[in-house]
Amino acid sequence: MKRVLVRSVAAAAATVLVGVLAACSSGSSAAPATQGATTGATAKDTGPLKVWVMGDVGPAFEKATADFTAQTGITLQVDAIPWENVNDKLTTAVASGQGPDVVQVGLSLLPTFAAAGALKDLSGVIGNYPGLAAANFPDAVDPKNLGSDGKVLSVPWISDTRVLFYRSDILTAAGYPTPPTTWDQMEQVAKALKARGDGQYGYYIPLWDNTLPVQYTWQAGGDVVGADGKVNFDTPEFAAAVDHYLGFFADGSAPTASDWDQTQGFVSGATPMVISGPYLAKAISEAAPELDGKWSVALSPKDKNGTSLFAGSNLGVWNTSTHVDAAMQLIDYLDQPATQTAWYQAQGELPTNLQALDELSKTGDAALAVYAKQLTEARTVPMVPGWDLIANEMATALTAIGTTGADRDSTLEAFYAKAAQISSNY
Amino acid sequence: MTSTSTVAPPGAAFPRVRRPRRPAGPVSRRRGAVVPYAFVAPAFLLLLAFGVLPILVAAVVSTTNMNISGLADSSNIRFIGAANYTRLVQDPEFWHALTNTGLFALVGVPSILVVSLGVALLLHRSDSGFARALRAFYFMPAITAIVAVALVWGYLYNSQFGLFNYLLSLVGIGPVPWLSSPTVAKFSVALVAIWRATGLNIIIFLAALQGIPKEYLEAAAIDGANERQRTLRITIPLLRFAIFFVTITTVINWLQFFDEPYVLTQGGPVGATTSISLYIFQQGFRYNQFGFASAGSLVLFVIIAVVTLVQLRLRRSDVD
Repeated sequence: MKRVLVRSVAAAAATVLVGVLAACSSGSSAAPATQGATTGATAKDTGPLKVWVMGDVGPAFEKATADFTAQTGITLQVDAIPWENVNDKLTTAVASGQGPDVVQVGLSLLPTFAAAGALKDLSGVIGNYPGLAAANFPDAVDPKNLGSDGKVLSVPWISDTRVLFYRSDILTAAGYPTPPTTWDQMEQVAKALKARGDGQYGYYIPLWDNTLPVQYTWQAGGDVVGADGKVNFDTPEFAAAVDHYLGFFADGSAPTASDWDQTQGFVSGATPMVISGPYLAKAISEAAPELDGKWSVALSPKDKNGTSLFAGSNLGVWNTSTHVDAAMQLIDYLDQPATQTAWYQAQGELPTNLQALDELSKTGDAALAVYAKQLTEARTVPMVPGWDLIANEMATALTAIGTTGADRDSTLEAFYAKAAQISSNY
Repeated sequence: MTSTSTVAPPGAAFPRVRRPRRPAGPVSRRRGAVVPYAFVAPAFLLLLAFGVLPILVAAVVSTTNMNISGLADSSNIRFIGAANYTRLVQDPEFWHALTNTGLFALVGVPSILVVSLGVALLLHRSDSGFARALRAFYFMPAITAIVAVALVWGYLYNSQFGLFNYLLSLVGIGPVPWLSSPTVAKFSVALVAIWRATGLNIIIFLAALQGIPKEYLEAAAIDGANERQRTLRITIPLLRFAIFFVTITTVINWLQFFDEPYVLTQGGPVGATTSISLYIFQQGFRYNQFGFASAGSLVLFVIIAVVTLVQLRLRRSDVD
């Protein structure tokens, strides 16, 4: 425990020192860096490219890129960074200036690292790669929707969205052979399922999920970012989202336990409905293969519309990279429909390339067709710096109201003030 | 030149300085003054480099708006004076975290003291193989990795399939929201920390108990003191220094309480288990607000320094 203080102080000290050093060196090295990139293009740059990917995908990534190295002669050094260390790792890289060449950045971290100037503007070179044109990808991840003032700081790679997972056997037994498609139906079905008995619920809302209320705000026809680009929660649509969200806690159709296990609850049937991403499908099949055929996925239930969350990761080129051309070739390769399809088959991570998505959704996999359809009606989290902090404040405020009986209006007022204050700090 | 040559053979320098009753001249007197410093120097330099310097840097950083863009480009760093500190005292979460830390310390320090002293007294009564095995048993939590500990306790506490709630259901008691209720979660998290911390303190008390001369207890027994009187009047007063040591280190540990809430609850639900260290960590490393977090860590440093000084002061008057 004592070490934590010492460690954090030491880390702060180190980051300052390194930051000063990096600032000193970046000025002098800027010119040779760009020069290296241009000469590299003519003299055939073969890397090695340092690539940082996230999660447990190292060997799979090396396998997926073996062909790329064979074709281009560009060698790769792949580092797979565990998800929980991503923020630390990227922060250290920013501080030290020692980044990779190609980096995977989750969409929720994108604004922070774009604002820190960690990613290179690719608008000058992206035109050479027709495969990377914005038209090949969903609108949600079009650079102009990622808030970078005309710059292209990243290119879409893998996608992820939130759909409704439901236990068809339990819903049918309760008299609902088809899944709910509207908010009203959702509330009604959840309540009916809750009435099955003690310890049974209708719908699991992860208390740590700080995107669901935002998704509900979109579905109510609103947004959490105002026309001025600043976050604004004080809207009738957010209020409607909050009422829908809290309603599940108020009538007891969602469990209030903060340590509720999503997969376990779904498998046991205690929470037969949950809004989650494709990774849950994998978790369910692994935990309970015998449930196959007793559960399914459906589009997010609608209010005014059925907008869901567009999650996933983009690829960027680190600001200090001297292998821009080789890096772009790799990104171009990773975004080709064939590579994207193979990656889905190996890793279960959805493509962003529209052609790959389309081909996959025609393979007869019903769940895939739902994901692909939902991705066309999905948006990314707001691309404002400090979003993480604001979203967690929102989750905390709603948890307080929903599970500990805090006063709705005063808690929300305090949250609005806090959100405005956080925005002004950036 | 001269000073380095005195330092070089320390073994030779010592007896030469000590032997003459009266210092022969200014040279050897200077040697006598240098040698102790030479021995202290490495530790002192380490303390400067890894203790004092980081605190000074944190003090400087705490007056800036240091965040991730400041790391990337130092021209983004601005001096903002005491703004981080004003923001800190205006942040209800900071006060919440501070209150939580105070509560944790209030519950945790006496519990650890009483439990570890009690267990040590019991273990000290016997020197059988079983008692020695028990010592190892009690020490086990102290050497087990916190993540493994948290994982297992997380399963014990779990509201869906946890062992505790299952056992309670056997005797007809309804489920307890171990980690979900803001009030109960505080105690659940504190319990794990108490369980983890007692092992080391039991060993400290056992060592101190072994240092108590048997004659005192025998003399008291001959004078007709019963076991309770011997423990309360002889043993515990003679353990005063060990108790003092354990109290100081335990108080500091609770003020820096971090590991258990970090891995068990992430500070939730609704911030109920967010200690001040966890709050600082989140502000710094989760939200990249290094300047603000530095201000928080400096405040924590001052609190710990003041609390420890007060304890040392009380101890001094106790000795007098």
